[in-house]
Amino acid sequence: MSSSEQSQTSIKKILIANRGEIAVRIIRACRDLGIKTVAVYSDADRASLHVRYADEAVHIGPPPPRESYLVGEKILEAARKTGADAIHPGYGFLSEREWFAQAVADEGIIFIGPPPSAIATMGDKQSAREAVKKYGVPVVPGTEPGMRDDEILAAAAQIGFPVMVKASAGGGGKGMRAVYSAEELPEALAMARREAEGAFGDGTVYLEKMIVGARHIEFQVLADMHGNTIHLGERECSIQRRHQKLVEESPSPFMDSDLRRRMGEAAVLAAQSVGYINAGTIEYLVDKDKNFYFMEMNTRLQVEHPVTELVTGIDLVKEQVRIARGRRMGPTESLTEPKGWAMECRINAEDPYNNFLPSVGQISTLIMPTGPGVRVDSGVYAGYAITPYYDSMIAKLICWGDDRPEAILRMRSALEEFTIMGVKHNVPFHQNLLNSFTFIAGRLDTKFVEERFSMTTYETAPEDADLETAAIAATLYAHRQRQLAGQVVGRNERDTSNWKWLSRWERVHK
Amino acid sequence: MKYVTVLNGKTYEIEIAKDGSLTVNGEPRTVDFLTLGPSLYSVIRDNASYEVVIEEREEGYEVLMRGKLFTGDVLDERAQLLASRRGGLSADSGEISIKSPMPGLVVAVQVSEGQEVQAGQTILILESMKMQNELKAPRAGTVQRISASAGQTVEQGKLLITIV
Repeated sequence: MSSSEQSQTSIKKILIANRGEIAVRIIRACRDLGIKTVAVYSDADRASLHVRYADEAVHIGPPPPRESYLVGEKILEAARKTGADAIHPGYGFLSEREWFAQAVADEGIIFIGPPPSAIATMGDKQSAREAVKKYGVPVVPGTEPGMRDDEILAAAAQIGFPVMVKASAGGGGKGMRAVYSAEELPEALAMARREAEGAFGDGTVYLEKMIVGARHIEFQVLADMHGNTIHLGERECSIQRRHQKLVEESPSPFMDSDLRRRMGEAAVLAAQSVGYINAGTIEYLVDKDKNFYFMEMNTRLQVEHPVTELVTGIDLVKEQVRIARGRRMGPTESLTEPKGWAMECRINAEDPYNNFLPSVGQISTLIMPTGPGVRVDSGVYAGYAITPYYDSMIAKLICWGDDRPEAILRMRSALEEFTIMGVKHNVPFHQNLLNSFTFIAGRLDTKFVEERFSMTTYETAPEDADLETAAIAATLYAHRQRQLAGQVVGRNERDTSNWKWLSRWERVHK
Repeated sequence: MKYVTVLNGKTYEIEIAKDGSLTVNGEPRTVDFLTLGPSLYSVIRDNASYEVVIEEREEGYEVLMRGKLFTGDVLDERAQLLASRRGGLSADSGEISIKSPMPGLVVAVQVSEGQEVQAGQTILILESMKMQNELKAPRAGTVQRISASAGQTVEQGKLLITIV
């Protein structure tokens, strides 16, 4: 096909095969482009924001992802029914499934993502390593996937501890374990296999050498069908817990122009090694001596894509659609210097005071921060009920500043404004993190949160006056409620507090 | 009305007179308390302005102010009397019920009945939200009863383990 023919491809209606904040994000890009949107939803998501915002919404089954969002045929059926001419997979779910991308193409529908062959090669850690090595991109020492436990044990001894156990079909830290000795390995393999089986339906695992003190730095790449492949700079993603990213920023405090150029060039080569088209991310581990190793390529849009958008001024989702339409992408050159500094805090329904235990329930009050340089990508609202079926991220708070200190100050202020009640959440974690000297100094590595951060170290006790004010407010609130309850049911008629009686009455009459 | 308000472990005796005037531990305070929404209030006190979110839960009150969450309870005279008969508002002894904080699958129970546990020790692994979550003992004690087993699917609030 010539490029003039490709540029004729039109997209009028996009089905978003996802949920939550990313589905809302994609709907917004489609609105900008004048494209109609189709949401899909499980029973648990009937009241979700993406369903409310889309032009059309199709029910695809029960809450568990394996019976709804992961069932390719249901997604395709929804696309047929609504006449969608393209499918955006978002991140997670079916976004990195070669068979799904192929099935979409076989239907004559445009898959907004890379070619199935690129997903396949990059989706298998071993073939990904082989592919990029041929293009001179450095890789981390490790094993093949699918080996037996005894073979893995033998290989681990050769690579040398500590090692990482990783799921072949992995992503987002699921099925991933750090192992420091041969004795721990069998149990870690069993745990990782179990988690990978549960999350991806594939329990295959492999080993990789653990780069101690490593930073996790990734590069955004974009490639169109006209032979252009560029990078849009890095994202620093070292603030993680159990391999789940919590804070991302761009640029990285660790970066210099020369390292950015070298890592960026390698990222472009890695994408070219598999004939990559559309938006993708090259993840690297970087040691303290600025040696970098290719870890994997995420063949999809990343959760943390907004930080790149804020320092480049490029709307990555719109570029994805433009590329999928066969057009030339907007930016023509790789990024040399980012504009300002952007930072993202993932707001999760997890209790930082209780081992980051996920929290479910209804959000009773929600007030989002606003102001210059503040962006919130969210899929929730006051009254929304968080269910246990999907991951615990409820919003992304992204702040931009002229430089890193300004971005941090804006983020602190935005976190203070962010009011979420009804479920436990990790805003206090982010507040404490942004107060820590290590973070402010930019001395980040992937073990910082787990090994050297504590909620109590940076938490300041409230001022006496503030605590007293809070106590007065609570008392006035209780006083008013009690007076109100008294008016409703009458005083002294029952042998218990009227207020208690009222709440019992509500429970009985639910 | 006289109240005893305990917030973040600190106790205040607060009295609100019929005319709305207020004292804290006997000292008068001037407070402008304005309702903005169902749980949103504005407080101005000596020109200091606070936005306050207050919500009542089964276990007490939550007050969010200037990005900090305060928790506690407001007791009127009757509630104080009941609490004093029970022997205090809280105690480090007595039975603790570990309930499932969310629906999920019990992957492993890591203690047995009669076993002594330390505060912070992992006692059960619960799989939910695609993650394996470790439930820990809130304080040291002895496992009295185990009410869940590995492989069992549990609802939110299901009693899992009792520690005395």
